[in-house]
Amino acid sequence: MNNGPLLFLGLFAAMVFSWLGFVMGPQLQIGNLPQTNTVVVGDAISQAYPVALSGNAHQGEEVYRANGCAACHTQMVRAGDSSPLAGPDISHGWGARRSVAEDYLFDQPVLLGSQRIGPDLANYGRRSSIDAILRRLYDPRSLVPGSIMPSYRFFFKTRKIEGAPSPDALVLSGKDAPAPGYEVVPGPRARSLAAYLLSLHQDGYLYEAPPPALPPPPKTNAPPAMAVKK
Amino acid sequence: MSATVSPARTASNNPSEPSQAGLNVSCPIGMLYLLGAGLVWLLVALVLGFIDSLKFHAPGFLADHGFLSYGRVHAAAGSALLYGFGAQAALGIGLWLLCRLGRTTLAGPFVVFLGAFFWNFAVTVGVIAILCGNNTGFDAFEMPAVCAPTLFVSYAMIGICAMLTFHQRREGPLYPSQWFVVGALFWFPWIFSTAAILLLYMPVHGVLQAAIAWWYAHNFSMVFLGFSGLASSFYFIPKLLGRPLHSRQLAALAFWTLAVFGSWGGIPDGAPLPSWIASISVVGTVLMAIPMLALGDNFYHTARYGLNTLDADPTLRFTYVGLLFLFVAVAQQIVGALPNVSAITSLTWFGAAQKELFHLGFFAMTVFGAMYYIVPRLLGLGAEAWCPKLTKWHFGLTLAGILISYLALLVAGVEQGIMLAGTNHSFVEVMSSTLMPLRASTLGDLLFLAGTFVFLGNFLRVIGTWCCEFRRRAIKEAK
Amino acid sequence: MKPNDSKAPVDSAGMEPVADYATAPVWLIIVFGALFYWGQLFLDRHAGGFQKDVYAPFQDVEEVAKSNPQNEQDKFLAMGRDVFTKTCSQCHQPTGLGKEGQAPPLVGSEWVLAPTAARIVNIPLDGLTGPITVKGQVWNLTMPPFRDNWDDEHIAAVLTFIRTKLGDNKASPVKADLVKAARQVVHPSPETSDELMRIPLQ
Repeated sequence: MNNGPLLFLGLFAAMVFSWLGFVMGPQLQIGNLPQTNTVVVGDAISQAYPVALSGNAHQGEEVYRANGCAACHTQMVRAGDSSPLAGPDISHGWGARRSVAEDYLFDQPVLLGSQRIGPDLANYGRRSSIDAILRRLYDPRSLVPGSIMPSYRFFFKTRKIEGAPSPDALVLSGKDAPAPGYEVVPGPRARSLAAYLLSLHQDGYLYEAPPPALPPPPKTNAPPAMAVKK
Repeated sequence: MSATVSPARTASNNPSEPSQAGLNVSCPIGMLYLLGAGLVWLLVALVLGFIDSLKFHAPGFLADHGFLSYGRVHAAAGSALLYGFGAQAALGIGLWLLCRLGRTTLAGPFVVFLGAFFWNFAVTVGVIAILCGNNTGFDAFEMPAVCAPTLFVSYAMIGICAMLTFHQRREGPLYPSQWFVVGALFWFPWIFSTAAILLLYMPVHGVLQAAIAWWYAHNFSMVFLGFSGLASSFYFIPKLLGRPLHSRQLAALAFWTLAVFGSWGGIPDGAPLPSWIASISVVGTVLMAIPMLALGDNFYHTARYGLNTLDADPTLRFTYVGLLFLFVAVAQQIVGALPNVSAITSLTWFGAAQKELFHLGFFAMTVFGAMYYIVPRLLGLGAEAWCPKLTKWHFGLTLAGILISYLALLVAGVEQGIMLAGTNHSFVEVMSSTLMPLRASTLGDLLFLAGTFVFLGNFLRVIGTWCCEFRRRAIKEAK
Repeated sequence: MKPNDSKAPVDSAGMEPVADYATAPVWLIIVFGALFYWGQLFLDRHAGGFQKDVYAPFQDVEEVAKSNPQNEQDKFLAMGRDVFTKTCSQCHQPTGLGKEGQAPPLVGSEWVLAPTAARIVNIPLDGLTGPITVKGQVWNLTMPPFRDNWDDEHIAAVLTFIRTKLGDNKASPVKADLVKAARQVVHPSPETSDELMRIPLQ
């Protein structure tokens, strides 16, 4: 190995090998996934999945990105070793099935995160409400004692009540309560971040992560009681 | 220093002939700038990391200002470490090794200096932008799109000079360090341009962004920083022991297997990607055992008669410790990649511990070792320019710091993984039980930071000595 | 050695390290081979045949296919649901309860729940115009024909879905043959309520 050009050639080959495997190959295979329909389970209705974020939610994704939320929160539900519908992540209530590539079709950028210092948020929109999100951003420990999440008070404004109190003002008590005559209202960042978090869900069953097997459907002329017994 | 070096080595290794000192001044300024600025960035990264670590003691600490919130500081610390310190130190040491082993001078020293200046400018803009909320959101690639062209161009300026230096070498046969430097220099522009184009300028659709970001981060650490650090180990261990390297063939095996398998990894367990991508990542990571065994065997046979010199020379000491941490870090990565283990450890502090050991334990320690040798020689001074007391403190503090920090994070990671794999603990319970080791790791961070400050002091002392020397000589020549 | 002597060496002191030529030990080559073999076995078992639809813990495409709904009846209903969601629900509403000024209800409609689908099968084929009484209320609207949009199978599927699954509708399913027969009767303009009433239910 004393030949400079040969050394370069070898390195180039190794680089291209890795590049083809991890960049080009996946791009050819799943780089242009289409939006599909969810797999029907029971009486649910098939729906186009996933759907694009609303404008406000997309702004919220920018807030999520800018403040490095992905440093502590992942957005991927992992499968257990026997089923895509069971496993520790799923028993923690973070989702109903494992995450697959199609779930992220409309995310820009894709913020999967790489460490769980906080819980997974892939389905956070399905287990929270706008009030809870805003309260948590303002003071995480008021709702979850022992939480180590920092508060994001700089997303909120404390202002003097002029005329009628704002309908958006947070309902705060104890040490969080603002001085009398003042109210805490969410700023634009808090609102769009909440819209984004509420939009997070991965609950349609897809071909790659199919629904649990159903019991065989009852015969059309069988009485309902029989069907239940089956 | 002079007291501890054996007489035989002092005779052969002391290049500080006064006549040469003046000649080399114009040449080393670029390399010195890269190394010195890298050291300052390491301190910035450590201070930011320390601020972040304090938030596990009090989540409300500095939380009321957006630019000091956890997520932003975390990203800024990572960028300062990888781009401010890692890349610059890799380039500085690489250039020096190419000059030294090629027995030639640096080509285009002014271009190198300019490139280093622009690189620092871009990293400064990037880190400030991250703190102001311009994070791209990708781990290890956080600096905003505006920085990428400047980073690329300034890298190209330095890289082209490095290639010209390599080309004008006067020594025909290549020594393994040269392969590793060339490999590192070659690798970075590819992965960086791929990441910049496919993540920032023409982003790919959907989850591939995450796959490319993981691939990039893994290649940056494992191949770019790994090659650079190993180039230094391959040079200094035989050099300072005064023995030949045991096997060229083993070095070649380690080089090629590291290039091939080290670049196939980084996808965490359970990533929302078709299972073949994660499986290939697992196989690539496990096969990293081959280069590590080859390196271990090679270095063991090179150094086994010289282990009693461990205390003799700070360069050797730091390089040994760095290598040892490299083996531990890669071993941990291999174990953590096995499916049964990764189901528990992936996405926990386990990975953070591994990264910390690789970046600070292996890479930073190796760079410290190399700087102890390189810096005085760039300035035409002897190794006695370092204050031996400060050197000892530096070694002790950084070693204790990385050990405490690593073990604490490892404990936190394993504990978190095991508790989360069960179902009888709520997430808050799990996190509160990891707080204790996380707080212990703050102590480690602080010790490492203190050690690095000591090193900066020592570094400035060497620069000061050189300034006095330079002025003295200038006055003498004027007379 | 390159014949480039214009550049003076930076530092003439000391021997630069050299590398000896010891060969790689056999055990390392064996370990390499063993790990490589293990890697292949691992990929055979866990790489899902390099297919894009296979995600852990599934091992191959057959396993994924088997885990998806298998029943023919389910697939038929799924097809019907699909057509309903994409087209019918735009006017008849996703609930099938209809909307004032858009479309009459399908749930509980005596037209939909008739013993056979002989009459309503003509509505998606040819469209419907003019007044029609549904659940005691007169609706005077126009529905376009879908004759050229869907084949017999799809129309049968959506009618089956509407008659058996929509809301609390519980009527008999519809076969594609019925649609095929109805399609033979060319009807140049949309159906009217009176014309439909003339079609026998059997």
